[in-house]
Amino acid sequence: MQALLALSRVIDAINTRIGKWFAWAIFAATLVSAGNAVVRKLLDMSSNSWLELQWILFSAVFLLCSPWTLLNNEHIRIDIINNMLPKPVRNWIDILGHTFFLLPFTIVMIITGWPFFLASFRIDEQSSNAGGLPQWPTKFLVPVAFLLLFLQAISEVIKRVAILRGMIADPHEGVHHPAEAEVEELIHAIESVDKRVGGKS
Amino acid sequence: MTAFLIHNMAPLMFASLIVVLLIGYPAAFSLAAIGLIYGLLGIELGLFRPDFLQALPERIYGIMSNDTLLAIPFFTFMGLILERSGMAEDLLDTIGQLFGTIRGGLAYAVIFVGALLAATTGVVAASVISMGLISLPIMLRYGYDRRVASGVIAASGTLAQIIPPSLVLIVMADQLGRSVGDMYEGAFVPGITLAALYAVYVFLMTIMFPKSAPGLPVEAVGFREDDGSRGLGTLAILAVVSGVFGWFMMRNSGTHGADFVVLTMFNAIVFAFVVAVVNWACDRLFKFRFLSRLAQQVTFAMVPPLFLIFLVLGTIFIGLATPTEGGAMGATGALILAIMKRRLSWDLVRQATESTAKLSAFVVFILVGARTFSLTFYGVDGHRWVEDLLVSLPGGQIGFLAFVNVFVFFLAFFLDFFEIAFIIIPLLGPAAERLGIDLIWFGVILGVNMQTSFMHPPFGFALFYLRSVAPKESFIDRVSGKRTDGVTTGQIYWGAIPFVIIQCIMVGLVIAFPAMVMHYKRGLSTVDPNKVDIKIELPTFDPEPPKIQ
Repeated sequence: MQALLALSRVIDAINTRIGKWFAWAIFAATLVSAGNAVVRKLLDMSSNSWLELQWILFSAVFLLCSPWTLLNNEHIRIDIINNMLPKPVRNWIDILGHTFFLLPFTIVMIITGWPFFLASFRIDEQSSNAGGLPQWPTKFLVPVAFLLLFLQAISEVIKRVAILRGMIADPHEGVHHPAEAEVEELIHAIESVDKRVGGKS
Repeated sequence: MTAFLIHNMAPLMFASLIVVLLIGYPAAFSLAAIGLIYGLLGIELGLFRPDFLQALPERIYGIMSNDTLLAIPFFTFMGLILERSGMAEDLLDTIGQLFGTIRGGLAYAVIFVGALLAATTGVVAASVISMGLISLPIMLRYGYDRRVASGVIAASGTLAQIIPPSLVLIVMADQLGRSVGDMYEGAFVPGITLAALYAVYVFLMTIMFPKSAPGLPVEAVGFREDDGSRGLGTLAILAVVSGVFGWFMMRNSGTHGADFVVLTMFNAIVFAFVVAVVNWACDRLFKFRFLSRLAQQVTFAMVPPLFLIFLVLGTIFIGLATPTEGGAMGATGALILAIMKRRLSWDLVRQATESTAKLSAFVVFILVGARTFSLTFYGVDGHRWVEDLLVSLPGGQIGFLAFVNVFVFFLAFFLDFFEIAFIIIPLLGPAAERLGIDLIWFGVILGVNMQTSFMHPPFGFALFYLRSVAPKESFIDRVSGKRTDGVTTGQIYWGAIPFVIIQCIMVGLVIAFPAMVMHYKRGLSTVDPNKVDIKIELPTFDPEPPKIQ
């Protein structure tokens, strides 16, 4: 079990790092997209590469940040009944769900996603738009993302089992809703800025 | 058994989905897994070819290359940055001062600012949290009824969901296969009307229960002239002159509806801003002012939001940007604003991008799950089953609309709007179209309806955000020094109920008066010659996301 927990920590660390890294692509996509509009208007030119770049960046974000989102328990649930269930039951729901729902789904996506990428890679598939970007690197994101999600699901199962056995504390203890943590972070951020600026409290 | 399975695959799928969702496993993966399990079952039963699941990566690629979805991170990012830029605080301070002494003045200010913030971004959390932090303590200090205060704040925050640019409208347009621009145009009047209805409610409360929403005492109002007068006169003159100037600039532009309003407001604020800057410079240099302090302050507070509204809506209307790019322009504008106010730190940008990334991941994964589900569901003709079921409802169009709205209203109690939009809307759209219902009209009706998902006790997000910023315990007020009671969770819930009712009334109004929405078509038919004009001015104008084939 200790070895499994160590594995889980490694997976968590990798996916956290990847998630935090690729979150910055949001920032890049924003600037690219705003830039596209301005350049088109001011210089009267438009490039399909840049137009495609914005959604490719966003694809990288939502695909590669998804395991990290799972790690943070922020994939949205309907908590109307879930909240009333005792904690062990909730842990069991996650264990069974990850094992019988998420893991098979990610496996199917890896099995189908890999040939999907290979078919594109072999012919060096280009964009259907003139002057666009090659398609295979983007298609590569699909199997990679689901491989990472597969790993994260394994890590989550390990952690849930360990929690049930009382080996580790529940990292999401006390957080009823992922939005709650978000709100607290926001309020904290506002307060810290107020202090820094020395403005109104 | 097998025959039963084959014939009832669609209803069984639906039932399984409901069970799995209700026990609280993440919606995205539940959808995907149910689609997959039934897909495999279908292959086993000979309903599908064995390579059926090969279509999945292509479906995901379809989601990836959907430009419209980019609006989700852009507007979320913009909302988060804006929240930290202090714009809402400045607005609430100033507008609160402006309306202050009128009975219910703070509540009107909250509605006004809520609508203004709603027109800059499409994010509820940002508005509710800012207003909860700034306005709620002041309302409590001067003895507002706690239910009225919290209800107004939560409801005004949700205006972000219906007043363009809103995420709901973008996602709805995408799922119904209509243009985002038309959806904006259509939702504009209902959005403003809704804000007006909120104000009517506050007005009725001040008539029936004057103590529930008192005006501010005179001494609590700042920005006075040296002689103690409030300087409302020059503000009124400035407002009228700027408005006339804006109208004058736009009168021959040939724009209609929302385009006209937004662009006129933009021209007016540019004019007012120039006047206020001149006034400020004169005051500095020659100690001479022709505007009151209040007028100058209001103008300065109104510039940032109207500038952002121009960035996100105006640029679409003048054909500079697509709705998605409008979101990116707005986000960039919010960043610039935050930098100018020296409120932006690297750490804040990092937090905003990380929050946005996680939100994007869970939202788009619901769509990934929904598309996996629908691969099988549509494969077994589930959409026909739903469509036939809906079309055969008694009462034709009205019967259908009534049923769908009641259905969505109850779903909104426990489903997030993204879940409704990605799972339910694609099933409703074809049936609505078959009944001859205009899909923009349909989308706006559902948009108003789904707004309640933010206000429904006890799971409405807006209530939840407000709960986290409202004081729970009694506290010593900083200004008055008096012990002030906190706000109980029950008060927040009760406060929301009148607004949920207003929402239902509004759904009825939009159904009863389709013209509120349908004017978007007038723009289309009469604008033709004008579109040509615009094209001459802007040769690169292209209503679709431009792609050179």
